[in-house]
Amino acid sequence: MASRGFASEGRRVLRDPVLLGVIVVLWLLLALFVLYPLTVLLVRAFSDEGRLTLEPLLGSLGDAGHRAAFFNSLILAATVGVLGTLLGFLFALTATRTGLGRRWLTLLDAAALLPLVSPPFTTSIAIIFSFGPRGFISHHLLGFDNVSAYGFVSTALAETLTYFPFAYLTLRPIIAAIDPNLEEMAFSLGGSRWRIFRTVTVPLAIPGFANAFLLLFAASLADFATPLILAGNSFPVLPTQAYLQITGMFDFKGGAVLSLMLLVPAAVVYLLQRYWVGRRTYVTVTGKVGQRSRTRAIAPWASAALVVATVMVAVSILYFYALLVFASAVVAFGANNSFTWHHYAVIFTEGVPAIRDTLIIALIGMPLGGLYGVLVGYLIARRRFPGRQAMEIVSMINYALPGTIVGIAYLIAFNDPPIALTGGAMIIVACYVFRYSPTGIRATVALLSQIDRSLEEASSSLGAGSGETFRRVTLPLIAPAFFAGLGVVFIRSMTAISATIFLVSLSWTLITVRILENMTEMALGPAAAFSVFVIVVVFAVVSVLSAILARLRTATAGAAARSLLGG
Amino acid sequence: MAPISIRLDRVSKRFDHTVKGEVYAVREVSLSVAEGELLTLLGPSGCGKSTTLRMIAGFEEPDEGMISIDGRDVTHVLPNQRGIGFMFQNYALFPHLSVFENVAYGLRVQGKPAAEIARAVGEVLELVGLANYERQQPHQLSGGEQQRVALARAVVFQPKVLLFDEPLSNLDAKLRVEMREEIRSLQKRVGITTVYVTHDQEEAMAISDRIAVMERGEVVQDGTAQDLYYRPASEFVARFIGRTNIVPARVLSPTEVEVEGVRIAFSSGLAAGQAVRLVVRPEMIDLHPAAAGSSGVAEITHHTFLGEKTDYQAKLGALSLQATASDHYRKPVLDIGQPVAVRFHAQGIHVLK
Ligand SMILES: Nc1ncnc2c1ncn2[C@@H]1O[C@H](COP(=O)(O)OP(=O)(O)OP(=O)(O)O)[C@@H](O)[C@H]1O
Ligand SMILES: [Mg+2]
Repeated sequence: MASRGFASEGRRVLRDPVLLGVIVVLWLLLALFVLYPLTVLLVRAFSDEGRLTLEPLLGSLGDAGHRAAFFNSLILAATVGVLGTLLGFLFALTATRTGLGRRWLTLLDAAALLPLVSPPFTTSIAIIFSFGPRGFISHHLLGFDNVSAYGFVSTALAETLTYFPFAYLTLRPIIAAIDPNLEEMAFSLGGSRWRIFRTVTVPLAIPGFANAFLLLFAASLADFATPLILAGNSFPVLPTQAYLQITGMFDFKGGAVLSLMLLVPAAVVYLLQRYWVGRRTYVTVTGKVGQRSRTRAIAPWASAALVVATVMVAVSILYFYALLVFASAVVAFGANNSFTWHHYAVIFTEGVPAIRDTLIIALIGMPLGGLYGVLVGYLIARRRFPGRQAMEIVSMINYALPGTIVGIAYLIAFNDPPIALTGGAMIIVACYVFRYSPTGIRATVALLSQIDRSLEEASSSLGAGSGETFRRVTLPLIAPAFFAGLGVVFIRSMTAISATIFLVSLSWTLITVRILENMTEMALGPAAAFSVFVIVVVFAVVSVLSAILARLRTATAGAAARSLLGG
Repeated sequence: MAPISIRLDRVSKRFDHTVKGEVYAVREVSLSVAEGELLTLLGPSGCGKSTTLRMIAGFEEPDEGMISIDGRDVTHVLPNQRGIGFMFQNYALFPHLSVFENVAYGLRVQGKPAAEIARAVGEVLELVGLANYERQQPHQLSGGEQQRVALARAVVFQPKVLLFDEPLSNLDAKLRVEMREEIRSLQKRVGITTVYVTHDQEEAMAISDRIAVMERGEVVQDGTAQDLYYRPASEFVARFIGRTNIVPARVLSPTEVEVEGVRIAFSSGLAAGQAVRLVVRPEMIDLHPAAAGSSGVAEITHHTFLGEKTDYQAKLGALSLQATASDHYRKPVLDIGQPVAVRFHAQGIHVLK
């Protein structure tokens, strides 16, 4: 009977004051920063002058503009899901099956990983620079005038290029693990290469495809920055509509209702991804790699075509970044291409408050997020206590929800007494910690599953209490997860905008918000300079963390390092 | 008799099983271990040995029953407040700490001064024969060395009780014998109360003062190795400890029984006509060449010459008997198919209840 286990678990926790204290504090924090804002958001969306009603929601569904935004969001997400998965598959196949040299692989990885560590408007800026009215490609190469870089196509393109690395990171290990000998065997049985590809390789990768598609779908659904810049008025989507509703019309309820319309598909996709597809993505590791002939299952011409296509995509991505650097260092891109440090001078004078605030927030959030991640991960992986599963689920909520929803929920919940926090740095830090630490939680759980429980039992038999065991034994062993978790919080603190744009104030602002302001003022030079600055800082921090992880030398540090980027 | 150190009183532990629902891993186990005694829990895989041991350590909490150590009720006391040393099957050395720090761990937790820690760790490493290994990391050690470090770590803080969960099962056969002798001699020297879990009956017999045999969560017999061998309480115990024949017999009179036409003078004190089962160990059966056809004559079906002894199988009527002879330096090995007369040594025979 469950109740007996519940009671004895409860008794045990009560006798362990350290454990009890940590659990209580974590639950209070989760209640305050996850459950409370979400509840307030729901109440606000479903209430009218103190009574519960569906009217606002029905009203919103009746609004043609809102309905259009809803369907636009789904269409955009589906398009990005399909295109991004294909692109990821292309990269994954090329990386694993064409026998490409190490250098080329590094180029591929760089092109795939850059978007993951970039601030949100990078691709958008590059697309405007390339395809805008005075764009490098549209105007200078092709000679068009007054083309529009705004709308569905450019938004889908930018999001695909930004998010396809998720698909690449998901599919690459799966395809790499499909034993080439299996393909070989089919080949030796006389199947044609195309047939083998169709009947062996692709079916084995299908759960990976589904997983990649859902990840991309969720990312696009939640993306706020790209459509804000590129979608324009002709293609409204939910996150931007919700944002405009709140910042333009100060209509909190309208924003709440719109974010609720976003919540439903986001929740469905998240649940599908995590509990249905995620569990099916098995990797078959045969262990006997030996002499694998990589290329035979793919015809030489096909292999060449793959390489050419992939390298072209990779080069275009790198070209985007080159453009960004170039634009940050010329007077006015397209009109006056003479070199200047002026934009950097601007960001290091006028931009200093934003840089300082962002760094302070990121540096405070980093250790807190790292610690929170390992504590929650440790508790849910190692401790039996009532409410453990609930804690696991609740700790994932802010991560699974689109940032717009979290931002609006925080804004509504913490704007007025009893808990008025907006305007301060604390609320932004809390937003990042609870939104981005789940990577650390998962890395901790994964690491702990490889560390035998007997180590902790040994420590306790030697007289150490639960707190001391955690500090002396568990923490040193899960240090890789700690650093990975803290790294993700830092990276996202430097690059995220969708939630925190609702939380900035006169006294605390963020680089990403300044980039947005620059873009709307058409000050593209400083926007580019800010973006380059963020990329350089993030790159430096990732390098330092990777070096630390490499020095920790545990078998699991590699996986933790990867979650730095995948998170 | 020395005073009782560990006492288990009708201790039970249930676990949730995904298919069978709630099942007993340990059921109403009562045991006591005297001070300085080494008690072994012996039984097949899954019979609840580890669970029992882990409840003594405090890693698991009993659902029912009471556990006390040195007269103190510890049923609901956390493991770190019990003062026990535990040896894990996988050694559970802390991989991020050196040998010295591993052994020093318990003393550091107690906040002992550095000089005292250095002295105590040095002494105990000396004791287990690892004097110059202090700076090594666990992954640089062989299995046997890791074992010794784990032992040193468990005894250095002078626990009241030592618990071992199959500590030797990862070692090769020769090292296993060596280590079990070391453990036993160290245990005797320090005089520490010990509970030792194994599923290897030979190891249990070699190391223990007393053995508790477990079957499906319950202790079915508890006694010295000789008790278990010569006076097993059940067919399960008889078969688990050593090799055995379980022979159906008929009581002819209180002083005589009959097995497949062979009469044995054996005072069972039972009434004539009763059917009983006898535990007859292979060395209690003698086989002699005989003429075929007469009653009580068996036929050799199998033999294995092992040097110091020869194992036989012989068919006596419907029975297949195992027998052992260790005197083939002075008489020939019997051939397969050879008719033999069977003689039972009545002194060793035990009647199953
Ligand atoms: N944490 C647990 N959850 C559920 N069932 C358990 C748990 N621990 C043990 N059991 C079950 O309890 C029974 C006894 O397990 P235990 O580990 O005590 O056996 P054992 O005698 O030590 O076996 P072995 O020789 O294989 O180590 C087994 O059926 C096992 O499946
Ligand atoms: Mg066991």
